[in-house]
Amino acid sequence: MVIDSAVNRTRLRRIADGSDARWLMVWIAGLLVLWIWDAIFLNAPAFDAVQTSFLNSLATGIMVVVMALFFGWVIGVGLHLLERSEARVLYDIASFAVDILRSVPQIIVVLIGYVLLTLLLHEGTIRSTAGQLVWIAFAIAVAVSLEVSDTVRERINHFRTLDFVDAMLSCGISETRIVNVEILWKNSRSHLLYKLIAIFGMSVFLQCSIDFIVSVGLSTDVSLMNFPVTLGSLLANVDSKQDILAISNLFTDPGYISVILVRHLQGISVAFCIVFTLLCVYMIANGFVRRHRLV
Amino acid sequence: MSNLWDVLTGNSESLSSKLLLHAASLVVVACMFGVIVFVVETRRAEQRENDSNIQKYLSLHDVDFGDPVDRSIFRESLGVFLPNQSERNDSLLLAIDDLRQRQFSDPAYKSGSQLQGLTLEKIGEIVGMYVQFLGVYLVVLVVLFVSAERIGLYMFVKTKQHRASYLSQFVEGARQLRYRGKLEKRWIVARRLSLLLLKALGKGAVLAILFSPAYVIAYAVRTSFDTSTLVFMAFLGVVSNGVLIQTANRFFTLLVAESHKGYVQTAVVKGLSDSYEWDTPRGIPRSALFNVRRGIRSHVFQHIFLNARFQFIPALKEYASFLVTGLIIIEMALNIQGHLCYELLQQILYRQYDVACFIVFGIFFTVKATEVGVDIWHEREKKRYGY
Amino acid sequence: MSDLRYDIHIASDERELVAIQDFRLAESSITVLFGESGIGKSLSALAIAGLLDRDQLDIRLNGREYRDYLRSVELADLRKNGFFVFQEPSSHLNPLMTLRSQLREGALTKVSDEEGIVRRLWRHSPSSHVNEILSVYPKPYRPSGGEKQRILAAMAFKKMSTTPASAKGALFIFDEPTGNLDNQLRDEFLDLLVENFRSRHCTVLLITHDYSMISRFTTSYADLAHKIYYKELGLERGRLQLREFLPSAYLGWVKAQKAHALAERGESTLMKLQPNVRIFGRALKVTRHPAGRKPEPLSMAKGSLVYLKAPSGVGKTTLVKIMMGLLQAEELSMVLEGVEYTQRTLRQVWSTHVWGRQMAMVFQHADEALNQNARVKDVFAGLPLKTPMNEAAITRTLSQLFDDELDREFLRKPVKYLSGGQKQRLNLLRSMVLDTDILILDEPLNGLDFQSSVKVLANVEDKLRRGKSVLVISHNEEIFDALTMPEDVYYLHEIT
Repeated sequence: MVIDSAVNRTRLRRIADGSDARWLMVWIAGLLVLWIWDAIFLNAPAFDAVQTSFLNSLATGIMVVVMALFFGWVIGVGLHLLERSEARVLYDIASFAVDILRSVPQIIVVLIGYVLLTLLLHEGTIRSTAGQLVWIAFAIAVAVSLEVSDTVRERINHFRTLDFVDAMLSCGISETRIVNVEILWKNSRSHLLYKLIAIFGMSVFLQCSIDFIVSVGLSTDVSLMNFPVTLGSLLANVDSKQDILAISNLFTDPGYISVILVRHLQGISVAFCIVFTLLCVYMIANGFVRRHRLV
Repeated sequence: MSNLWDVLTGNSESLSSKLLLHAASLVVVACMFGVIVFVVETRRAEQRENDSNIQKYLSLHDVDFGDPVDRSIFRESLGVFLPNQSERNDSLLLAIDDLRQRQFSDPAYKSGSQLQGLTLEKIGEIVGMYVQFLGVYLVVLVVLFVSAERIGLYMFVKTKQHRASYLSQFVEGARQLRYRGKLEKRWIVARRLSLLLLKALGKGAVLAILFSPAYVIAYAVRTSFDTSTLVFMAFLGVVSNGVLIQTANRFFTLLVAESHKGYVQTAVVKGLSDSYEWDTPRGIPRSALFNVRRGIRSHVFQHIFLNARFQFIPALKEYASFLVTGLIIIEMALNIQGHLCYELLQQILYRQYDVACFIVFGIFFTVKATEVGVDIWHEREKKRYGY
Repeated sequence: MSDLRYDIHIASDERELVAIQDFRLAESSITVLFGESGIGKSLSALAIAGLLDRDQLDIRLNGREYRDYLRSVELADLRKNGFFVFQEPSSHLNPLMTLRSQLREGALTKVSDEEGIVRRLWRHSPSSHVNEILSVYPKPYRPSGGEKQRILAAMAFKKMSTTPASAKGALFIFDEPTGNLDNQLRDEFLDLLVENFRSRHCTVLLITHDYSMISRFTTSYADLAHKIYYKELGLERGRLQLREFLPSAYLGWVKAQKAHALAERGESTLMKLQPNVRIFGRALKVTRHPAGRKPEPLSMAKGSLVYLKAPSGVGKTTLVKIMMGLLQAEELSMVLEGVEYTQRTLRQVWSTHVWGRQMAMVFQHADEALNQNARVKDVFAGLPLKTPMNEAAITRTLSQLFDDELDREFLRKPVKYLSGGQKQRLNLLRSMVLDTDILILDEPLNGLDFQSSVKVLANVEDKLRRGKSVLVISHNEEIFDALTMPEDVYYLHEIT
């Protein structure tokens, strides 16, 4: 019976039935198919480069998510506690500074981060690939963490308009517990997770874009000679660009698709990785919103 | 006094407090950049003076500082003419080496633009590029807003029609194909299924384009189209980087949220239609996508659209920053000379940080001006509704 | 007369929400439906009216899929000739349309007697005020809950006045239509309802928690006794049942309360609030008389039950929040257990000394006051008790207001899966367990059925006997007038 089937579905089944889980599987399957195809048709050095660049970009994306969550939580909760404290002036200054940062385009913040990275490389403060990736993740996290802090504040303010906060305060429950445990941990995990999924997508986009730009435009001193290879920098590679340029042959010769998928594989693979990941992340985020009824 | 502080810090909800806050942000950032420019200019002036002092030594015809013997003789000569100053003499030699190194490797020296910084001529050049950037940005902003609204509306109506996606319909149809009796019927169904598959693939291709970073699209079509035109830039600004789909999705989300609210139920109970079928007496005419207010009467959608749009206007502020990011990526990645963001990249390369700051301030000003415009627009809308 | 009969099944992704067979409404009658909040009264009514969202719920009505019911002739008739007044007026008015234009939309466009209906519902306000209200937009003006509820009621009465007598599908559903109205306005609403009912012979379903309506119907409309049915939706042996509710059960209980005076009250004053309070630029004053000019301090002695009254929207909840230090007033003078509290008292002081220690408050909406995603036992975590409560202690506390619902799994149940009545009881217990000297109750009987209300009042009585003091805000005037000593009734006024 319809009612029984709806009620008896297990939690795992409900997750698997959601379109976010389906798109996650589509993403993994798509990358797996690409990996197999490249293993067969791409030469070994290029294959290694594509693999490494993907893993570096993925690692950076994950680090961005973790850092953005931390920064966003601290900024959001910090601003709230300042607002409620007697130190009103401090709150006003902090929120003014945050508003200014919000108006700076994210790419500029990340670009400044890269410029600082080159200085750190020159001075020898950062030497390893891992260290560079951590710094890149830090720069991107600074640019995007305001999205998380906005979500944190929005959730806190939502509950403040209800009797939720006052009811607990009047029972003597501490405000720190109310904000961190009752509001954010118990009632906002889905909202934060959704935001983090979107941030992962943003991080991939920003990282690929800035690596592409820096590879192209800053080719001497401030360069990516020593930077770890990522999807964006690999796409900016001459060979990859040639591969992408070859796509326009399809307008005059649609049969050229068979050549593109075999001969121009490095650039096509990298472009596919980027576009496919961004599309899947968007679909996963949308599915997540629907499954958790965040709207 | 406390009221003035509230206005200055944006604790008051009035338009004047918001505008004051924006103005204060511009002033603070201008001051910050002013300080950076001042520091850079001061250092540059010091450097210029030092370099001109050292250049005298480099101009000595008989001394080749690349030759170790000449260097040694020069060092000894310094010791003779300036005795008891060995540290200073060593520093001088290091400074000469440093200048030689910079003249050899520093792009600012190599390009001939060394140490010029933020001159009036440079400012004029950048202002011209900025006006061009602003023109493209405004076109993209307006097209983006209008397109996102229409696409969001379309997505909302399709959702309310509860139809399965093209792919789901194809899969379902393919399953049933083998149960169709005669060959002719199978052929009709197969034709329909092919159309569905084409639509699904087409939708996938469109989504792929909308999510592609601008440089991927630009390089993919570069040999067939001129990708350095302003029109193409504006096209990329709207279509690529996921901006259009994200903005449309935002409006769609607002429409869905509003459709769940209580006043929609009240409207239904008062007899307004809640059917979303296309072009039916109680449904939605397709023409209404282009003019909601006039196109639909006695339908709950009027209520939903009004409220969603009211909330969509302030959301534009978030997308301004994202849109500018997209345009920066386009200009930088496509290496379009004579454009503002490519110039920014070059100035960072040449370590002309004062010029770079000036450009960044211009970009910041663009975002702020958009925020001011949106606040004024939202305020006007609020006044219409008695706020 | 035949009955309207429905079998209703509603389920979400996670659980079954309503499963009731034989939900009956007598045609051309008034059915007053009681029941604990969250038991399924509103959901069932919304399902019948075709107003539930089939995207989010699995619904079957009389064995049919909901989408088939939505296309049925039966529903079309109901929509044409019936109406639905929603429970929560704030979200049921479009914030971007004036109240007047919303009153004249759709099927309500051509109704001649709009002015008459509106004047009846705003009988005690000058006509200039009424015109002003109708010209506003709901969002920025923020009409009170009572004003919004009257607008929705006016829409229903407009529709009623145009419905042909004995029309097919003329089902008018009123879901908590008087929750925000004081007794005077509630009586006005009932008068209008009965007048329209007499002339239209429509079917009325009136969902309410206000048991005192029984007194009103019994005394003022005794001739309609054969046309008014009292029913209660409740759980019986784990199944949802619609059963008869005997008006005598309530009337007898209230009569018994009148005869029963409450415990000895002490002379020692726990709290004294000076009568003039100012907040958000508004000045409020406390008096002992409904039209009193003379402000008097509000005193709470040991063992006293204090009843604070005022028309809807004046600021009763605001005042008690100020007394709790949850809102910072512009002018306040209060002495609590010998210590003075004013508008300059720091938040830190309230937090350290007052909240959950000397005073506690129960808020009226349990859905907002409790963390819906917490488990039942987590509701008691973080309270400033000498020793944190273990499961045994929590079970003992819960047994005061929960009987056969308490099983092993109850403590681990998420709060969102409790019924509204269960949530309200949990909401009350969380504050009561703190055993503060002063307890403030804002609409404590909200969402409770009759049996639960009796238990809660017994608990309150126990507190008073032990020397605690309780301040109550409630629209259940009939009940609390009976329980409160006349000298402990206060009135709140706004000074204009």
